[in-house]
Amino acid sequence: MGSTRRQFLWAMGATAASVGVRWTSDVVWAAQGSGDPGWSPGTERFVNSSCLVCPARCGIRGRVVDDRLVRLTGNPFHPMSRGGLCPRGVAGVQLLYHPDRISAPCRRVGARGAQAWEEITWDDALGQLGARLQSLRQRGQPEALALLAGYCAGSMHDLWQQFLQSYGSPNYIADDYDDGTAAVMELMHGIGRSPGYDLERAGFVLSFGAPLFEAWWSPLQAFAAFAGPDGDNGAPTRFVQVDTRFSRTAARAHDWAGIRPGTFGVLALGIAYVLIRDELYDAEFVARHVSGFEDVADAGGERREGYRSLVMRNYRTEEVSAVTGVPVGRITSLARAFAEAAHPVAVCGPDVTHAPNGLLAACAVHSLNVLMGSVSRPGGVLFGNEAPLAPLAAPVVDPRGRAGLDRGPLAPSQTPFGRGDPAMRFAGAVAAGEAGAVDTLLLYYANPLASALRRQVWEEALQRIPFIVSFSPFHDETTAHADLILPDLLAYERWQDAPTPASYPYPVWGVVRPLVDPHPGARHTGDAVLAVARQLGGSVARSLPYESFETLLKARAAGLFATRRGMTLGDAFELRHQQQMEERGWWLPEHREFEAFWDEAVDRGGWTDPFIDETEPAGLARTSSGRIELLPARLLEALATVGEGRTAYLDVAAAAAGGSDDFPLRLIPYRVSTLSSGTLPLQRWLAETPGLFPDVHWDPWIEVAPTTANTLGFANDTMVWVVSAHGRYRARLKVFPGTAPQNVCAPYGLRHPDGEPANPLHLLDGSSDPLTALPNWFTTFVRLERA
Amino acid sequence: MTRWGMVIDLARCTGCAACEVACKSENNIPTVSPDQAEMGRATSWMRVMAEPKGAFPDTTLEFYPRPCMHCDNPPCIKVCPVRATYIDPEGIVGQIYPRCIGCRYCANACPYTVKYFNWYGPEWPESERQYRNPDVSVRAKGVIEKCTFCHHRLQKAREDARAQGRQLREEDYQPACAEICPTDAIVFGDLDNPTHRVAELKEDPRVMRLMEDLGTQPKVYYLRQRT
Ligand code: SF4
Ligand code: SF4
Ligand code: SF4
Repeated sequence: MGSTRRQFLWAMGATAASVGVRWTSDVVWAAQGSGDPGWSPGTERFVNSSCLVCPARCGIRGRVVDDRLVRLTGNPFHPMSRGGLCPRGVAGVQLLYHPDRISAPCRRVGARGAQAWEEITWDDALGQLGARLQSLRQRGQPEALALLAGYCAGSMHDLWQQFLQSYGSPNYIADDYDDGTAAVMELMHGIGRSPGYDLERAGFVLSFGAPLFEAWWSPLQAFAAFAGPDGDNGAPTRFVQVDTRFSRTAARAHDWAGIRPGTFGVLALGIAYVLIRDELYDAEFVARHVSGFEDVADAGGERREGYRSLVMRNYRTEEVSAVTGVPVGRITSLARAFAEAAHPVAVCGPDVTHAPNGLLAACAVHSLNVLMGSVSRPGGVLFGNEAPLAPLAAPVVDPRGRAGLDRGPLAPSQTPFGRGDPAMRFAGAVAAGEAGAVDTLLLYYANPLASALRRQVWEEALQRIPFIVSFSPFHDETTAHADLILPDLLAYERWQDAPTPASYPYPVWGVVRPLVDPHPGARHTGDAVLAVARQLGGSVARSLPYESFETLLKARAAGLFATRRGMTLGDAFELRHQQQMEERGWWLPEHREFEAFWDEAVDRGGWTDPFIDETEPAGLARTSSGRIELLPARLLEALATVGEGRTAYLDVAAAAAGGSDDFPLRLIPYRVSTLSSGTLPLQRWLAETPGLFPDVHWDPWIEVAPTTANTLGFANDTMVWVVSAHGRYRARLKVFPGTAPQNVCAPYGLRHPDGEPANPLHLLDGSSDPLTALPNWFTTFVRLERA
Repeated sequence: MTRWGMVIDLARCTGCAACEVACKSENNIPTVSPDQAEMGRATSWMRVMAEPKGAFPDTTLEFYPRPCMHCDNPPCIKVCPVRATYIDPEGIVGQIYPRCIGCRYCANACPYTVKYFNWYGPEWPESERQYRNPDVSVRAKGVIEKCTFCHHRLQKAREDARAQGRQLREEDYQPACAEICPTDAIVFGDLDNPTHRVAELKEDPRVMRLMEDLGTQPKVYYLRQRT
């Protein structure tokens, strides 16, 4: 420490300070008039629950003082969160107390979209909805009811399905996030779900554009693997990111490679080429578990080329380099590092699938896992089980309902694989079809006027639907067109369940429970649906015989209790212990009574089964041959009919097209980790500094390379119009060295502070992959004009 | 002697900004209107700084989460005419709001630019009053504020430990940012207590401090990227 004099001063300061600090709380609140006069410290409680802000569904812990939620942290018992949380999760308190919350059920009184509302009682609101649905069914038109289901987690999804099915409507329209990988797994493994990635035990993660640390299925899952075990005893996972822009994930990966948009699959096959050429792949695994690798002679004696020949003939490193822009040496070193790592795994992001050859490219990326045998083993791709919940009561369908279901969905998928964009397809069919084909549309966490690619089509569609009901807790663009609003409770006020996403290798069934008293004017949508079911009576009521959503949840949890597997959430030690026991075939009951089990599951935040049976053959492939298909017959057939002349895997020659004189720059839209998706309002803490740029607050921005900005003559911070052939929006130009000179990177999820929309997705050209109908994100070109 | 300090592992930090938001939530940091933010008047006691280098595709970027450095030799306290900013015997640099006269000398003296001035009285709309932390005072117009290492938590932890008749443990006192960080990049504790993780980590060969040559002796240490 310094001189005696300074010591003395410090001591003085400290004494004064400790007194000052001791009671500044009271003094400042009262004396400076900035607090409540009746302030008191309050009683605090800590309660575990689950986050429903994004599809990751992390475990949260709320600090509740009296009956106010003052803070959210991670649930230390949740294996994915382990006490940590992402910024969006933390900012959840700003959703609970958001000024835009709808405070009571509302009936429209002005013109559609004029936002003139009259508050009504819940009995009145539910009565109106019930009566409408009753008469629709009595008229024999149950299929004219449609649900647009946005973010629909856990048992809410099952409840809606059961409601529509027993009512007789086949029009459950999914409008949630789909990265297109489930279709790939269905083709290659016969398992129709997105792959689970055992990132924590992987030695090397090669990510093809997956926004692992930003807006992936579960950023916290990726963070846990990135951080590695505490104390650095184990070797942490090595991350390499291949990306079209210098993303946050690329910035924090151990290494990254820039690539031309739309060429991920070609790079994957370039890596496969090196693996095969240098005999680095797992030949034994391929021989035992894979079909389609070698050439075969078909029944007529004709030779059919296998994966090996296809790759060796078409994907030589030089050609791949020319197409992707990744240097030859880089391709070779990536392939070697991938092959030499203890547990390599290739992760396929949504940027791979949202391209003209998306499905094939995703198959190519996943083929790297197959070549290395990184399937159904530690550190690889694992198809985890779902939590073994008890099913809902057996659905009852009466003849009226049956007739409705038999009429089939209004807009069935027309493409061979995956589900495409069901919401856009539905809107297209409504806008083009007869009026009245859809009588009543229910909106559940869906806001297509903000999030859909074609806003105009949705506007037309909404005009043709006589009755629109929104369950949104917040005013938003689409809710503005509703006839009736039945505001839901927020996740901090209601019962629900929060299973981890498919990317997580084993099931965690998180419980969502009220942390504070519910908003008096809002009601749980689950309870509202159950009430309408009771009002409808008959088969619908019999299919949903639950008093409340809470009783429904509890009934389902009985399935967990009965399976004699897994455990209520516990600390890392308890989890590991359970894992080891189950590996050896043991299981010890924690509870004799279901009630005690339920209480503890609620208290700790959920249930999990950390054991993964890697010896189970069904974890590898459920195809008819029992093998993993590298060149699935269904894919080859589909290519012959709708593949527009493409052959299995990708045409190297068809390098991504360039821009034109009018529209010289390629638009690269991307999701920002801290911003929400359209159904939730902006939270102030997040909007204040939404991205990397310390001087960007609230305003939508775009990123441009320094050379490009120079050529165009735009200084940093210029307001510009981003213009495509399909639309334009205003944004602030930020010069960013991580952008390729031919691209414009455009975050989405922001609006201007005055509400002016700024969605780069509205500029897209509307083209899609003919095999999956997933929209192309990176085929649109734009120009920038001074605004 | 207890000396509270922090070690931030840059190899673990992903720049997610959870620490930033957790700090705002814990310490009642008001948000400002978009045009005020535009004038640089947004407050963030913890700020994740990003420094991009190079050109595509050879770009690199480092994230530096930046709280107050709680300097052992803090230039900010030397210039304060009323001793509103002070360092306590355990090394925490604090701010006594009722005493601050708003001259902003300390904000200019701090080489790390971590001190924020309240140009206007904080606006607390009814919606934002709901979730204020009752343990932390709100600041008035005309005073300086900055990261406190969440020292209200230290008081609480001490009282709890005393009530239970035991010594204060490492995990009893953790600031909000260290608690929330999903990659455990922020480690907090007593730099002089060999059983605390920070004491061990500050001896790591990757260790460095910001602007060390100024002689401020920050108690926030960084661990460089692994190469
Ligand atoms: S990652 Fe998603 S689910 Fe997890 S805390 Fe953040 S917003 Fe919530
Ligand atoms: S919370 Fe942790 S990982 Fe995230 S920015 Fe802060 S220090 Fe970095
Ligand atoms: S970082 Fe700045 S405010 Fe903090 S102690 Fe040092 S000089 Fe003072």
